Amino acid sequence: MLIIILLFLAILLSRVTSLKTAVNILLFQSVLVALACAFVAAETGEMHTYIAAALTLIIKAGLIPYALFRIVRMLRREREANPIISPNHSVMVAGIMVVLAYSLIDKALPGIVSRDALAAAVAMMLIGLTLIMTRRQAVLQIVGLITMENGLYLVGLSVTKGLPLIIELGVFLDVLVAVVVLVILTYRLKRSFLSTDTSMLKKLKG
Amino acid sequence: MGHLIILALVLPLLAGVFTMIQSRQKPIRFINLLGSLLLSAVLLSLVQQVAKNGTIHVGQFYIDALSAILLLVVAVLTCTANLFSLSYMQKEITDGHISLTMLKRYYGLLNLFVFTMLCVPLVENMGILWVAVEATTLSSALLVAFYFDRAALEAAWKYVMVCTVGICLALLGTILLYYAQVNADLGGEGQALSWLAMQAVSEQLDPGMIKLAFVFILIGYGTKAGLAPMHTWLPDAHSQAPSPVSGLLSGALLSCALYGIIRMVIIVKGAVGPAFPEQFLIGFGLLSIFIAVPFILVQHDLKRLLAYSSIEHMGLITLGLGLGTPLALYGALLHIVNHAVTKSALFYLAGAIIQHYGTKHILRIRGLVSAMPVMGTMFVAAILAIAGLPPFSIFYSKLAIVWAAFQSSNYLLGALILLLMAAVFAGMIYYTLKLGFGKVPGKVHDNYQLGKPAMTAVSFSMLLMVAGGIYLPSWLDTLLIQAAAIIGGVQ
Repeated sequence: MLIIILLFLAILLSRVTSLKTAVNILLFQSVLVALACAFVAAETGEMHTYIAAALTLIIKAGLIPYALFRIVRMLRREREANPIISPNHSVMVAGIMVVLAYSLIDKALPGIVSRDALAAAVAMMLIGLTLIMTRRQAVLQIVGLITMENGLYLVGLSVTKGLPLIIELGVFLDVLVAVVVLVILTYRLKRSFLSTDTSMLKKLKG
Repeated sequence: MGHLIILALVLPLLAGVFTMIQSRQKPIRFINLLGSLLLSAVLLSLVQQVAKNGTIHVGQFYIDALSAILLLVVAVLTCTANLFSLSYMQKEITDGHISLTMLKRYYGLLNLFVFTMLCVPLVENMGILWVAVEATTLSSALLVAFYFDRAALEAAWKYVMVCTVGICLALLGTILLYYAQVNADLGGEGQALSWLAMQAVSEQLDPGMIKLAFVFILIGYGTKAGLAPMHTWLPDAHSQAPSPVSGLLSGALLSCALYGIIRMVIIVKGAVGPAFPEQFLIGFGLLSIFIAVPFILVQHDLKRLLAYSSIEHMGLITLGLGLGTPLALYGALLHIVNHAVTKSALFYLAGAIIQHYGTKHILRIRGLVSAMPVMGTMFVAAILAIAGLPPFSIFYSKLAIVWAAFQSSNYLLGALILLLMAAVFAGMIYYTLKLGFGKVPGKVHDNYQLGKPAMTAVSFSMLLMVAGGIYLPSWLDTLLIQAAAIIGGVQ
């Protein structure tokens, strides 16, 4: 059930053009990832998985959306004007990604227990990646990056029940700092270019 | 030994914190100079310890000959970068390009960057290694964007986006590696993703999974190491960062990313044999050299020229690693050291030149040797060095790699590298002649004085370049041979 909602959200994410909606969906998605982590924790009964679930909730569903909402409020006029692939086609691409993910998993890891979860996770990674590649708005690219990271986290969760705690902590810290750095850059983009459309970044060549 | 390692990690953090609470220029300079000199001393003593007494393994930290070489690079480069920053940033302040707040931010971030870069060779665990590599991206991103002008923002945005996506793939590879370890029932208490533990039992790991993990890690860390075709962020970031930082990025950070690949290669070699990783390394290495050549031949920006040359050299090192014979590995490791020293000196000099001429455009820079006699001469010499002319140290490491290619009867490959290197050489000489000689543009006055610290830094690098070509200290030789043996595995 969780997996279906997660996949649905990822596909939905490939449709939105409003920044605020995108962050809202991302928030919901992160809560679900934390929930999935909590399920795994309940299943294994290991303390460190609970900690990881709590951290997911605090960082990915708390601090990161907070930082994004702050920047989005500043960018009231910004929206994805002409994405490289139109929203309708994006959904199709996202669908293809899901199929691709399933076939990849079946080929690389036949007979793995958590087949659906893993495939959904890989699909989320791929959808995140396509978001980064096809969106021009800085904030949507950040959203794509976090979607990819969430997918990655689910991969870890479904194949190895999560990484050792100390590494997990480091990963969380890195993700948080990455978002902070990107938000600072977005803010500066807005100030220097008066827009956060990254298609303007094409001066450096050769 | 544990306290020395802790000291090395704490020093840059302390220097950074002290910098942030100071409000005058002088103490900031003093703290950073002192901090970097102390740090280099500590690191060098660690390297000496490894050379004399063998590997150090304390808790999560692990230093063998291979990491010692990286530490050596970081030690030399932090020292020179800090020295050079003193004069460079002074001039930026007097010219009114930056304010005191920006200076504080610069030194704070620089120290953080050095700290993250030190973590990479010091940690033993593949998972923490990933965290450290990602941390280097993030700490250096704001340094790349330091001036916050349009070009710098563009460079920083591309840098963070491309490298973070790349590094996410590396994390996927790391997770798969962990999966392989867990599946082989080797993930005992405290052993998870431990490099030593995995290396010891590498032949029991599932070959298919390890291959998959390797490909992801190679692409991930390869992005960070500037291997083609994932190199697109590199010329932008290296050309927009302040020059001392460009030197660090090019000399030390690229090698740190390669270090991650090397550690993985050792495990893969144990699991599936050397042929599988080596074909990838040779492929990526050759492609990197190949892609860099046209951009070096037709270039308009001085720092981009150097950045593309970095791609070429990283390609050469990767190729050396891929050849896998002891001579090739020795050459590749020596090349890491030589390239770091030479390229950082070049970036520093380029920084001074750009400050003096007020442009990065190659066509507008003329008559270096008469406008700035000492610096100009050094710059021409350093360019000749990076192009691979004897008696500079780079010539010997390049020779070792090419020689190894012929020795392992890869004649076609060897000939191809020689051809590409000849093209790079031609490009470099062409630009050197243009930059170094000719009539000095009117508005540039010709009595240029670089601050003493910067002069010391650059002269020191030049000294190492020349001395390294004539004489290799026996401890470094021992370290290189040991490190080559670690990568090559015990045959």
